[in-house]
Amino acid sequence: MDGKKWGMVVDLDKCTGCQSCVVACQSENNIPINDEPLFNQRRAIEWIRVERYWEGEFPNIKARFIPVFCQQCDDAPCEPVCPVYATYHNSEGLNVQVYNRCVGTRFCANNCPYQVRFFNFWEPEWPESFHNQLNPDVTVRSRGIMEKCTFCVQRIRRTSRDAKKNGTSVEDGDRALNPACVNACPTGTLVFGDLNDSESNVAKLTESELHGDHGRGYHLMEDYGTNPSVIYLKKVDEDAELEEAHH
Amino acid sequence: MLPGDFPSIIPTKPNRKDMVRLGVLGITGLAGLALVVIILLFVISAWLGRPLSMFGYDEGPDQPIVFPHTTHVQELGLDCTFCHRNVTKGASATVPSVGLCMTCHTVVGDESAEIEKLRDYHAQSEPIDWVRVHRLPDHVRFNHQAHIQYFSEKNNILPSAVCATCHGDVGNMKKVRQVEPLKMGNCVDCHRDNNAPTDCTTCHY
Repeated sequence: MDGKKWGMVVDLDKCTGCQSCVVACQSENNIPINDEPLFNQRRAIEWIRVERYWEGEFPNIKARFIPVFCQQCDDAPCEPVCPVYATYHNSEGLNVQVYNRCVGTRFCANNCPYQVRFFNFWEPEWPESFHNQLNPDVTVRSRGIMEKCTFCVQRIRRTSRDAKKNGTSVEDGDRALNPACVNACPTGTLVFGDLNDSESNVAKLTESELHGDHGRGYHLMEDYGTNPSVIYLKKVDEDAELEEAHH
Repeated sequence: MLPGDFPSIIPTKPNRKDMVRLGVLGITGLAGLALVVIILLFVISAWLGRPLSMFGYDEGPDQPIVFPHTTHVQELGLDCTFCHRNVTKGASATVPSVGLCMTCHTVVGDESAEIEKLRDYHAQSEPIDWVRVHRLPDHVRFNHQAHIQYFSEKNNILPSAVCATCHGDVGNMKKVRQVEPLKMGNCVDCHRDNNAPTDCTTCHY
């Protein structure tokens, strides 16, 4: 458990905006079903959302997608504003939301530049047929509680527990360890792992893309200085590369 | 009364009606005070640990079938893990299915009315609606397997010898009751003593 720092790499060149991650997250983490009025009120709960941007004018128009979820910032703006220490940073680099401490001041959501914290304005409800599909490993958050992406900490806990039971260690890229969104992604856009383990995929990608020359890596809204644990790789622009090749 | 006169300081003897009224007021006041004290006792004792035994919480709840752990554990010497089979494998210890009970009770215990109840459940293919004794809040994740494994390896004892740490000597109980308060303080104290992680996400997620 010690010495880990969980992180994620999002390769925007691979994202097709299919929303599988959104659906997977919704069902893994017992998130209530959002309907249209909820979205209109800006009170929908989506731990991961795919933002869509249009680029260019009609004939040459391109859709750009960015999956946005809690960036698990090292210098998280949400943490110092919580009056009851319901959100804090743990030894594994996770920005933790403790549901049973939360009193629902919503300061953290107001201070989050990524808008990835969500408040339960109502007691969550599911249709009768969904009652047995709730994940027993995840708390159902009641009314008045803040919630956000946990990097599927229940899966991290389960794999580390199973590793301890069998006397093995947690493997990088283990599907039981990966968050639900990573497993659901059909194109391999999302890569999850331990940033402190230099052999892991995320650490290698960070090394080459974020710290290396001509890398595509960047942090979302880097200039805020929040030091996120999520690294985005920008989309490869085919036209731009062609132009460079001509020179 | 003339100006400058003082009213008599000797109280006049209250009449019978006033006496009755004052008496009733005093008695209701005392009763109210006693009620407040009892409620406070209950709240404070439940807050600190478990409600005082005078409130009847010391006894376990009534179960649909009077199941004596004493007979099975002490007289027959069954291991805890014989019935609670998942305790060394997964998160919950699990209550045995009616089928497991019936492996013995198809032939054993013809004389008991309670075992007839069990056979009725089996004949109707219905589960027994046991009343839960140990319940943790919904936001707590407790895994039996990890705790059983740690303590049995640390103290070099059988898995079934670990159970009593939290559940008390269930083998001695006619009716299962909760022995430890099982508050967060119990968990954290033990985690500190054993150098187990005390990060919130160890149990809360």
